[in-house]
Amino acid sequence: MRAFPDFLTPYLPFVYAAIILLATWAVASIVRVLIGRALRGSVPQAAVGASRIGASIVWVCGVILAVQELGVGTTILLVLVALAGVAAIVAAREPLENASARYFADIYVPFRVGDSVEVGPYAGTVIEINAMSTVLLSKDDLLVSVPNTRFVRDVVVNTSPQAWKEVAVPISLGGSIDLPSFESALMKSLSKLRPRLDRRFPPMLVVRNRSPQGTELTLTVMLRTPGERATIATEVNSRVGEVLASLSGASR
Amino acid sequence: MQGLNICVSSQTPLVQFLARERTARRSRRGEGPVELEALEQGVDYRFSPGGVTRMVYPFLRRGLEGGLLRSAHWVALNPHAPPLARLHGVILHHTSLEHRRLSGYSKTKESLWGAVHGTGDPRGRDELFWTEDFSEYTYYNRATAERIRELDRTNDFDLFYVHDFQQLPTGEMLRTPKFKVFRWHIPFDERTLPADWKPTLVRLLNSYDIVVASSRRYLAAIRALGYTGRTELLYPYLDPEEYGQPARPEIDATCARWGIAAEDDVALVVGRMDPMKGQDQAIRAFERVAQGHPRLKLVLVGNGSFSGSRGGLGLSKSQLWHRSLERLAAKLGVGPRVIFTGYVDQRGLDCLYERSRFTLLPSSEEGFGLVAVESWLHRRPTLVSERAGVAELVSASKDELLIDPADPADIARKMKGLLDGGSRAEELGRAGHDWSRQCWIDSALSEESRLISGAIEA
Repeated sequence: MRAFPDFLTPYLPFVYAAIILLATWAVASIVRVLIGRALRGSVPQAAVGASRIGASIVWVCGVILAVQELGVGTTILLVLVALAGVAAIVAAREPLENASARYFADIYVPFRVGDSVEVGPYAGTVIEINAMSTVLLSKDDLLVSVPNTRFVRDVVVNTSPQAWKEVAVPISLGGSIDLPSFESALMKSLSKLRPRLDRRFPPMLVVRNRSPQGTELTLTVMLRTPGERATIATEVNSRVGEVLASLSGASR
Repeated sequence: MQGLNICVSSQTPLVQFLARERTARRSRRGEGPVELEALEQGVDYRFSPGGVTRMVYPFLRRGLEGGLLRSAHWVALNPHAPPLARLHGVILHHTSLEHRRLSGYSKTKESLWGAVHGTGDPRGRDELFWTEDFSEYTYYNRATAERIRELDRTNDFDLFYVHDFQQLPTGEMLRTPKFKVFRWHIPFDERTLPADWKPTLVRLLNSYDIVVASSRRYLAAIRALGYTGRTELLYPYLDPEEYGQPARPEIDATCARWGIAAEDDVALVVGRMDPMKGQDQAIRAFERVAQGHPRLKLVLVGNGSFSGSRGGLGLSKSQLWHRSLERLAAKLGVGPRVIFTGYVDQRGLDCLYERSRFTLLPSSEEGFGLVAVESWLHRRPTLVSERAGVAELVSASKDELLIDPADPADIARKMKGLLDGGSRAEELGRAGHDWSRQCWIDSALSEESRLISGAIEA
């Protein structure tokens, strides 16, 4: 049995291409919404930009598939897209470097908002850490915006009193895990480390960001002796992982 | 200024539900809040005892009626209550705490209470913040903060008003740039606190824009601890219109329930059954006075707090204290003349105040002591513990009215002064009525209004 009359056969590629473009439009819309929701807590301009980039990538893929369906060679198109991608990466090198530097500095460089730091010729109190830069308030009340890359390239001195005591651990909590239960379980687990920690400062959990996908937290513990920094950080991370695993298992 | 959206949070709820099944049926019938005005007070629900509910509810109600507030939401722990209820426009959100967490939460609370009041067993107290019990206290505060955050998303509150030490960490957990006020209700003396607690307490207090306390002494101690924000003195308050003057037959009928005869004299102590309230010292002082005043009876009104009530958290501290007081009275030979009434509703209390010669507030520590103000409203003098916040209001006749709660002889001497002083007791009752005006809701409302609207506009 034949599905289509003969006279329609030449037009089928166009029909398929149209369907692909329609599906592309739907997927691009969904991607735009999802990215927008995921970045709701970030700078609105950045969220809009990321949504546009996400939707554009979907459109590029959809158009290539549609063109392919029409029987037109896509090699040149792919090359052009690849070149545009490389150009975009080169153009966005600095922002990308800063964003990734922020990620690494967050984990490995010991300072946070409120600390007094010196990096290169700059010094001040950290008042904001964003994707691109760390904003310092200098002693003469000036705002100094230091690109995040400097914090992984240069020597950073944290001049806050007893800054050596502080171990900050970033935590991502999945949307299915109840925050109060997690915090309670974590406090119980960390109480076992009490002999190694400064007992005047119990562990502190601070919510940094929330999204439908989950919650970004920072756990801070205070050391009793500086030599145990690495050991304690490893142990704390391990305990965080255990608590997360036990609650993830329970929520399934 | 447009009315404000306020979110109040306290551990103690405004009401306790008595007829749970009936309330649950009403709760299931519709999706909206249980309307308390459609229920019967005293049968379906009753107001929680204690100063927090007594002052917060009139403030919210008057605030809504007068336009200071556009909406009022009150989040409180009430495990056996419907999740949502409403009374005169005040929306009550009830949270609960799993039974397995309740014990740890309560132990932590008791420990904090003991440290602040300088009582209880101090062993191991330094380590409180590292105990498993404390993790349940943290759980309760985080769960409350999360509930408030959810409500904020739909109600866009203008400010958060958090009440008392049980909820101190809630402010920091809220992580909002909106205005946060913390009201400290219990005594505060930074010298009685374990040194290791101080950095954490300072951090938690500093998460609030304003800390309000009930006495100059407590505010000075909060600042001495290291709080750097704004502090405000605001005496607890009540609505004098809520306190009636019952007719003689009603007073007699009420007193007859507890065997108080027409020719008896009554010395009244109103307060929950708690060692802190000093009922034992009142009994010891009474024993010294009893022989010379054979018609005098000591009436002890009150049972447990919300924590100790069956409708609340169900702890039994109050029952133990009650029994030990009965034993003490029997041992001192005054058992038949010491009357324990248990919980008495406001109307019954009005009758007892009217019937009394004077009131005693012998607390070893007392955040404020609104019962003294209640007694003054009835023009009855009150012997006030010098350790109570309300002692600040006694601006004259201090030698006659302020008592050392640790010294039963001093209390007895001042009881005799009131009993044998002829019309002096009436004069002091009238003076008390004048002092009570500082705690009337009208003046307090304008102070609250100034505090919150001024702060937000600033």
